[in-house]
Amino acid sequence: MAESRTPLLDELEKGPWPSFVTDMKKLAQRKPAVQDALGQLEMSYRDKKGHWKHGGIVGVRGYGGGVIGRYSDVGDVFPNVAEFHTMRVNQPSGWFYTTEKLRQLCDIWEAYGSGLTNFHGSTGDIILLGTVTQNLQPAFDALSEAGFDLGGSGSDLRTPSACVGPARCEWACIDTLDICHDLTNTFQDELHRPMWPYKFKLKIAGCPNDCVAAVARADLSVIGTWRDSIRIDREAVREYADGGLDVERAVVNRCPTGALSWNAEKKELGLKAEECNRCMHCINMMPKALCPGVERGATLLIGGKATILQTAFLSWVIVPFMKLEPPYEELKDLLRRIWEWWDENAKTRERVGELIYRKGMREFLRAVGLPPAPQMVFRPRANPYYFWWPEELEGNGHKEQG
Amino acid sequence: MSRTDIGPPYFKDMLPPVIKENYGRWKYHEILRPGVLRHVAESGAEIYSVRVGSARLMTVDRVREICDLADKYCDGYLRFTSRHNIEFLVSDKNKVEPLLRELKEKGWPVGGTGNSISNMIHTQGWIHCHTPATDGSGIVKAVMDDLYEYFVDMKLPAKLRIALACCLNMCGAVHCSDIAMVGIHRKPPVIEHDIVSKQCEIPTLIASCPTAAIRPNPKLKSVEVNEERCMYCGNCYTMCPGMKIADPENDGVAIFVGGKVSNARTPPMFSRLAIPYLPNNPPRWPEVTAAVRKLVEVWARNARQGERYGEWIERIGWERFFELAEIPFTDKHIDDFTFAIPTFRTAATFKW
Amino acid sequence: MAEAASEELKARVLEYLAKVDKAKSHDIAQALKEKKSLVDAAVRELAREDRVEFLYIGTSYVKLKGK
Repeated sequence: MAESRTPLLDELEKGPWPSFVTDMKKLAQRKPAVQDALGQLEMSYRDKKGHWKHGGIVGVRGYGGGVIGRYSDVGDVFPNVAEFHTMRVNQPSGWFYTTEKLRQLCDIWEAYGSGLTNFHGSTGDIILLGTVTQNLQPAFDALSEAGFDLGGSGSDLRTPSACVGPARCEWACIDTLDICHDLTNTFQDELHRPMWPYKFKLKIAGCPNDCVAAVARADLSVIGTWRDSIRIDREAVREYADGGLDVERAVVNRCPTGALSWNAEKKELGLKAEECNRCMHCINMMPKALCPGVERGATLLIGGKATILQTAFLSWVIVPFMKLEPPYEELKDLLRRIWEWWDENAKTRERVGELIYRKGMREFLRAVGLPPAPQMVFRPRANPYYFWWPEELEGNGHKEQG
Repeated sequence: MSRTDIGPPYFKDMLPPVIKENYGRWKYHEILRPGVLRHVAESGAEIYSVRVGSARLMTVDRVREICDLADKYCDGYLRFTSRHNIEFLVSDKNKVEPLLRELKEKGWPVGGTGNSISNMIHTQGWIHCHTPATDGSGIVKAVMDDLYEYFVDMKLPAKLRIALACCLNMCGAVHCSDIAMVGIHRKPPVIEHDIVSKQCEIPTLIASCPTAAIRPNPKLKSVEVNEERCMYCGNCYTMCPGMKIADPENDGVAIFVGGKVSNARTPPMFSRLAIPYLPNNPPRWPEVTAAVRKLVEVWARNARQGERYGEWIERIGWERFFELAEIPFTDKHIDDFTFAIPTFRTAATFKW
Repeated sequence: MAEAASEELKARVLEYLAKVDKAKSHDIAQALKEKKSLVDAAVRELAREDRVEFLYIGTSYVKLKGK
C-alpha cells in the first residue's frame, strides 16, 4: 500500500464525529483543487502555521462585496490552490432549503469551484470555498440564474440573519424570517456596495432566548418581546407538576424578579405580570404551559461586536419596544438615521457602538431622534459631569460645554 | 448580463407544507429524545425535527448525501441551525424511526438538544484563513470526538455552548460562549524588509494597523513596529506578506469560560479568561481537548440543575472556580486592557 | 433604491478618482463639497456600470476600475 500523503490529517478520520478529512479525500479523487487543499492543510499541520495570504482585488461586476480573495503562499507546491477565493452567498431566511435548491448550489460549485462549502459562515451566509479568479463571474452568473445572490463583505451591511422564528417556534414574538428577508431586499445597495466606515451587522431573534446571538454579534440587534402578561395554561402547569417537575425549585425560585409564586397544595402558579422582565426562564421550563403575551413587538439594541479592537460590546437597549409589522417602515427609517449619523461621524473602521462610546449616548439619541428611557440603563450615572443642551438653560449667555 | 441585487431565495418557497399551513401558529414543543424535537401547532398538526451534527466544512458530495436523506424522509425539506447543525424536517411521523436508523448506520451524530453540548461555532483556521493562530475544523473534530457523549445525550446540568475562533480577531463571536477556544499569537510580526520594500505599498500597510503601531522606515524602504502597541491582530499581514505574524513556536490556544447570550434568568455575559495558553499540537490537540473536558466536567459535577456555566461561577465566585478547576491564577487573568477597572474587586467579601 | 445620480456628478467622481489611488466615498464627498448620499448614489451607479471597483483593506475604498 502506498504511503499516505496526509499522515497527520489521517488521524482526523478517527472518532465518532463527522470527519471533514474523509469527506475531502473522496472529493479529492476527482477535484485537483481539493487534493491540493488537503496537501497544503497537511503542510500547515506539520509547520503549525497557515499558508494563505490576501491578494489583489477580486469580485464580480457591479458588486463591491461577497467575494474574498485568497492566495496560497506555497502556490508553486500546490498550483491548484494558488488562487482559492471564497464566495459568500446570501442564505434564505432561517436557513431553510429544499433539496432541489441545495443540489443546484452543489452543481454550480462543482462546475465553477472546488466543491468545498461551509453550511454556514459565522455571519450566516452559505460559504463557497475555493475558486479561481476567472471563474468568479461565471459562478455568479450561474448562481443568479438559479435565484441566488451574494452576501456582504467589507465596509457594508453584512448579510442579515434570523432565528427559525414563526416557521417552527411557538415563542417567536415577531416574524423574524420576513423581517430578515424584507430588510435584506430593501437594503441591497447597502449590502453589495460598501460605502461605510466599517461593517454593520443586523440580526433578528424572535424572543429573549436570542438563538442567533444578536446581542453579541449584531450592530443592531432586534429581539422579539411582549408588553402584556405571560399566558398561563393552569391545567398544563398541573400536568408538569404531576409529571415530576419540581415547579417551585426549578421554575419559581429561579425567577430573577420574584414575579412567580407557587401554591403547592393547589398546584397553582401565581404571576405578578408587572414584575416580570420577560427573561424566558419559566417559559423555557414549561413550554406546554406558558407562552409569551399577545401584545408583541421587539426591543432594539445597538452596538454589539466582537473584541477587536478596543473591547467587545454587548448591544445596548435603544428602543424598549417597537411594533414590527410589514412593511417595517419605522425600523427602516431608524436604520437609515443610524447609518447617516454613523457614516457622517465615524472614523475609518469605527463600529457604531464604538462611535456611541466616543461621542456619548446622548449625542446619538438626539441625532436619531430617540427619547431617553430608564430601560436603556442598568443604573444611572454616579458622577456629576453631564452636559446641558443650550435650550435647557436660561438666557443666551451660556454655550454648550464639551 | 446576469441579474444583480435579486436578494436571497424567498424562504417561504423552502418551507414544508405543514410549516406553511401552521406558520406563526405553533403551540408547544417537546424533546422526545436527544436530537428529536416534536412541534405541535394550534391546529393539532405536528412536525418532527431531527438534529444532526455536521463538520460545517463539507464537500458538495456530503451535501448531496444530506439531500438524499431529506428526499427519502422529509419530502425534500431541511434546514440548518445557527450552530451548524442539520435539521431534517419530518412531516410524516412514521418516517422518524427509519431516518434515525439510517443516520445511525451512516454514522451521523443525532443530538445537540436540551441539556447537551451543541455543535461548535467555529472559524476557518488553516483551511482558509490568512491570519490563523491555530486550526478550526481539526480542533473542532478532536474536541467533538472527545465530548461526543455529551452531544448525543442530555445529561448535563444545562445547555453548554462551545465555540472556537482561530485568532484573536474572534470572528464567530466566541466572546459569549460557555467555553471558548481562541487561537492566540503572542509576538508582533517579524518584518521581512526585502518583501515589504519590493511587494508592499507602504502607506496602505501603515494604514492597516488598527493601533497605529506601524511606522515608516525610509532607510530600508520598509516599516517598523512599535511592539508595545501591537496586539497581534494580523491586519498588517493581510496587506503585506512581509509582515509574518504566524509563529509556530509561540502561537497556541487560550480558553475562556462563562459567557452566554440568552436572557434567561441572568443578562447576557462575556466569556472570561480561564487558561491563557495551551500549545498547538496537531493533529489532535491533546492538551486542548483534555482541558476542555476537564472544564466541562468540573461544571457538570458542581453546578446546580439548570445553571449555565457563567451562572455557576458567579454564584460560587471566580476564586473558587480556579481552585475547583485546578487552574493557576496568573497576572494574565487580571485585565489591563481598555475597560479593566470594573473587573477589579472593591469589596472585602470573598472566599479563601 | 436611491434616486438616479446626475451624470455631471458621476463625471466629477471619475475625475477625482483619476487623481488618487483610492478613496473612501466620505473623502470624495468632502473633496467635491457634495452630500455623501449623492456621492454614494453616483458611486453605486458607476459600480454597476463597471467603471469603479471596491478595494477592502481593513475598510472598503473605491477606485477606478483597473487603475
